Amino acid sequence: MIRWIYLGIIRDKTRSLFPFLVVSAGVSLMIFFLGFMDGIFAGMVDITANLDTGHVRFVNRPFYEEEYLNPMDRALAGQKETGQWLKENADRRVSWSPRIRWGAIMDVPDPQGETLHQTPVVGMAMDLLSADSPELARLKLADSLLAGRLPEASHELLVGYQLAQTLELELGRPVTLLGQSFDGGLAADNYTVVGFVKFGVSAMDKKMALIDLADAQETFYMEDMVTDWLGYLPAEVGYMDYPEIQSRLQERLAGLLARPPAEWAADDEPMVLSILDQRNFSSLVRTFEAVKKIVIGIFLFLMTLVLWNAGLLNGIHRYGEMGLRLAMGETHRALVFRLGLEAFLIGVLGSLAGCLIGGAIVYYLQEVGINMGDAFAKTGLMLSDVTRGRLSLEGFVMGIVPGMTASVLGNLIASLAIFKRSEANLFRELEAG
Amino acid sequence: MKEPLIRIDRVVKVYHIGEQDFTALHEISLDIEQEAFMSFVGPSGSGKTTLLNLIGGLDKPTRGEIVCGGTRLNDMSREELARFRRENIGFIFQTYNLLPVYSVYENVLFPLLLNGHREASVRRQVMDMVEKVGLAPEAKKNPTQLSGGQCQRVAIARALVKNPSLVLADEPTANLDAENSLQILELMREMNRELRAAFIFSTHDERVTRFAQREVGLEDGRVIWDKRRNGVGEWE
Repeated sequence: MIRWIYLGIIRDKTRSLFPFLVVSAGVSLMIFFLGFMDGIFAGMVDITANLDTGHVRFVNRPFYEEEYLNPMDRALAGQKETGQWLKENADRRVSWSPRIRWGAIMDVPDPQGETLHQTPVVGMAMDLLSADSPELARLKLADSLLAGRLPEASHELLVGYQLAQTLELELGRPVTLLGQSFDGGLAADNYTVVGFVKFGVSAMDKKMALIDLADAQETFYMEDMVTDWLGYLPAEVGYMDYPEIQSRLQERLAGLLARPPAEWAADDEPMVLSILDQRNFSSLVRTFEAVKKIVIGIFLFLMTLVLWNAGLLNGIHRYGEMGLRLAMGETHRALVFRLGLEAFLIGVLGSLAGCLIGGAIVYYLQEVGINMGDAFAKTGLMLSDVTRGRLSLEGFVMGIVPGMTASVLGNLIASLAIFKRSEANLFRELEAG
Repeated sequence: MKEPLIRIDRVVKVYHIGEQDFTALHEISLDIEQEAFMSFVGPSGSGKTTLLNLIGGLDKPTRGEIVCGGTRLNDMSREELARFRRENIGFIFQTYNLLPVYSVYENVLFPLLLNGHREASVRRQVMDMVEKVGLAPEAKKNPTQLSGGQCQRVAIARALVKNPSLVLADEPTANLDAENSLQILELMREMNRELRAAFIFSTHDERVTRFAQREVGLEDGRVIWDKRRNGVGEWE
């Protein structure tokens, strides 16, 4: 009977082509929208995590609570011991990176040493000098260099290209960072600008400078101290899994707090955060998930509506066939079931085509992307200039399920008329042709 | 005396049209023999189609009783009646009602699929039936490629392929020219003899009545005559 139905679908275009096109278009649009939205969101998560929050973050609570002030005196000491503990106790998939968030005035002197330009900058210190440092790849620094090179020696600095333009910086130019040391004193140190970086985030391109972690520890008198341990998870771990990884580590933290490293201050109280706890991300995730559900709901509703209509037209087109089948002894229930099966097969074929089309578009977006830098330039949001899609199994499932559901549901609603059809009139109806 | 295939006992059929009742059949009683080849004749509105509906299990009488092959149709549910039709009754219509997207072979196969057979197990049976109606060379063609007479042959093959005890044919020659009508009637008579299925026609066509071995005249829902042919083919 399946073969029978399949032959009918293939041969009778009026019964299959329109529903097929609707399902294909619906599924491909759904996969495209979800992939596009996921891509933008995942891009935002990754870029924020890479530059700022990590997927999970180990930070001293007093520092975190006054983070906007960059209170370096509340940084966490015992870098080596803490790093070892994290490695041993956190989820094995987490890769930990020590960072120092710093803020300073960048002073650009003229050849006579007089201040030419001066501006506050926000900075991040990380391992830039080790050959095997994962930070270089994580921030795609080599690819992001617009001019110059990566730091190769101590006291070399990278700046955002728009910051460089504002300060009229040239490569090889010495600059002075003026900030606050760990113990509240004045910290001043000279650096050489070796590269201009396009982070792809306007806010950072205008304000950001990067230095090596050891340099920051020296400049700000923070020996063996870091402000943050940022943890990174591989791409296959979704952001909805981060809270679980976070809470498992938080549970183990009690043991460390009971016997803290000797270098820690008495009131140090590290905590574990996920990206969802920071920068209002959890509310963004909730909104994003709600929007996704609404988009799916709207698509499901519209597709069902269109396919219901198609089913009604199909019912008129095949009125004689349905009557004949009832007369020949097919029960109403079996007839509706077989029509549902037919709709299911059309849904499968339409979904396959939709997956191919939608998948191809999202794959293109994932690999190539669309440059929307101009649109994002003034937003100040941490959004990558190149908007990318993201192919995911979830996207396909969320495309196929409404496509199939709409196909079967639309057809079944349309088929309800079959139950109302009385066999007593079949002879007359069939004589009418 | 053989047990009749169908026993119709004082059957009344009343339709409720709005607030009015319309009696389509008045106390009809008939016995229809096995292997009958008979016709119901009468003008429009005489009750021919209503009677076919009742015999075919497409409708139920308001009063009275219909017993077919020992089974009382009155007591059957909608599903049971569907099964009864599926297994026991073949239908032939004036407008053929073939499934246009399926081939001749597939149209004839369809009733067997409905009865739960697998195609592989009935392929020979279907082809034999297609050959019997003289359409073996056209087995792969679609109904749209056939003449009216050929379409009606397919409909006959489709009605008979499941070896029903009864075939109900509503104006089977109304859409055919004289030559094709004759051929179709000869074919049905041949099938009636060979396969031993009873044929009941509802018709206005005098050509059909020439082939019928029994003729029941209906008018205003009443039987006004019931005649049979004798051994030499003359009406008794």
